[in-house]
Amino acid sequence: MSPTEQHPPVFERIATGVPGLDPILGGGLMASGVYIVVGEPGAGKTILANQLCYQQARQGTRCLYVTLLAESHSRMLANLRSMAFFDAAQLPQRIYYVSGFRMLEEQGLPGLLELLRREMRNHGAGILVLDGLVQAQEAAGSSRDFKKFIHELQVSAGLTRFTALLLTSSVGPTVHPEYTMVDGILELRERTAAMRSWRELQVRKFRGSASLSGSHHFRISEEGVEVFPRLETVVSREQPPDWGTQRVRFGVPTLDAMIPEGLAAASTTLVMGPPGCGKTILGASHLAEGLRLGEPGLMVSFYEGPDRLLHKAANVGLALGSAVRDGRLKLQWNMPVESNLDLVAHTLLEDVRKRGVKRLFVDGLSAMVETSHEPARISPFFAALTQELRRLGVTTFFTLETSRLFGPEMDVPLGTGLSGVAENLLFMRHLELNGRLRRLLSIFKLRDADYDPTLREFLITPQGIEVQPPFQPSPELLLTGIARFPGNHS
Amino acid sequence: MAPATETVLVVDDEQGILEALADLLREEGYRVLTASHGREALERMAEVKPDLVLTDWMMPVLDGPALIERIRQDPALRHVAVLGMSAVDTNGLRRQHPGMDFLQKPFDIRALMKQVRKSLDAPRVQEG
Repeated sequence: MSPTEQHPPVFERIATGVPGLDPILGGGLMASGVYIVVGEPGAGKTILANQLCYQQARQGTRCLYVTLLAESHSRMLANLRSMAFFDAAQLPQRIYYVSGFRMLEEQGLPGLLELLRREMRNHGAGILVLDGLVQAQEAAGSSRDFKKFIHELQVSAGLTRFTALLLTSSVGPTVHPEYTMVDGILELRERTAAMRSWRELQVRKFRGSASLSGSHHFRISEEGVEVFPRLETVVSREQPPDWGTQRVRFGVPTLDAMIPEGLAAASTTLVMGPPGCGKTILGASHLAEGLRLGEPGLMVSFYEGPDRLLHKAANVGLALGSAVRDGRLKLQWNMPVESNLDLVAHTLLEDVRKRGVKRLFVDGLSAMVETSHEPARISPFFAALTQELRRLGVTTFFTLETSRLFGPEMDVPLGTGLSGVAENLLFMRHLELNGRLRRLLSIFKLRDADYDPTLREFLITPQGIEVQPPFQPSPELLLTGIARFPGNHS
Repeated sequence: MAPATETVLVVDDEQGILEALADLLREEGYRVLTASHGREALERMAEVKPDLVLTDWMMPVLDGPALIERIRQDPALRHVAVLGMSAVDTNGLRRQHPGMDFLQKPFDIRALMKQVRKSLDAPRVQEG
């Protein structure tokens, strides 16, 4: 290349400061791009745009925030003050708020455009937020005038190198044909089903690089906007490492004897059974054995709070409290209401990565499934989650409650959701025998390991778990849930 | 009730705030002029010299600090009382502009009227 030749421009990325958003955008907004953020009032557009400004201001970039008939600046700042990203020290030197409404009223779009250009130049700003594009759209004489306004703004952004975020509430269709000329469109929406509502972000258009498709959950908290990219779109597509001959045991000698080689490391085990059959204790035992071997553990639960779980485990000789206190074991408790599948997965995987968790126990899988609003998503979601856990070398235990206390039928509420991706399936049930309620355990399938397929009585004692020798009564009678020993017909 | 001869020029780019402040001050008996930015304020002042300029800080075209600088540099205007108001932390603005009075937005009517009166009654630079 000769010295006079020029390299084609490589656009820098602008970090949004919104956790989870930059990965969705392939690394952030493109510098000098013009983006539309569309959503109903209250969707979170203003918070998102301010978050970007404070993030950029901290890096030294000046930002101009222009409102058009939006809430007053003092009210906006009062609302932002409680947000973690807010930094009063950036005002007014690096973040500057002005209203362009009067100019729009008196001089229309040309006047507004002139104001934007002049103020950007005067403040030496690299970021422009125009909050209330819908007002400009309404003030435009025609859709052609509006398109011309956006086009001219784009030309200015390219020439004087600023990145613009145009916020608009949706009027009619959420994405107007007039918007298609911008560099990207982010749509924020709130969805409701029955009594529940949740927030979603979708990148409807993004020029210059690939973005993660589909809708992604987000929330607004004191941290501002936090986006949780849909798990299926962010997990590694690489084949998980081969964990070779590494094996994992329960730490219950009589149960481990049923699987002489132990479970494959980094495998997923699903323990199904009705309430009270001992699933949680079995999972706690899995964690306790890991802790004994020095492996960090994580327990994710939905119904029983951490204190109750620790108490329950302590009652059967599993002292997990000290491991919680010294950080070797973490308990993540999620209220089974108003939670979200991606948020649960995000929090879970974050801790797994941060602490190098080797054993994970998710107690109450049906509650986790119920946080999803889309049943069709369960299968790909769990395939993605278990794949990522396998890649990270985590041996995982899920418990799944079945609704039948007794009987020959077994219901699997997830369909092929998790039962299809779990390498190991254990089933527990209640049995009434000689006037006493007993717990039974059986192994349905195990990956890469021989196992004893016989039905075993599963005892929970103050000293811990114990699995009894193979059960003798006739199997066909056992399946009814009311068993009798041969010859006993009374 | 303020004497009708006292004139307050309110300068704010937020139209709703500008109109509300103008109404409140008129109800208190002041003569009120309005402008939506500093340059417009200077145009108003070329026609009518106010006793007090109540100005926002962040505005397009000509902002609060630039407007005050122009007022102070103009021998015909430098005696005019000035009161700043802003949604940003006015403690920081006070440190940057010692001697200036500020109202922290949002403010209540009583605080506004009290500060306006105080600014009008304060001794200021003599004309000439």
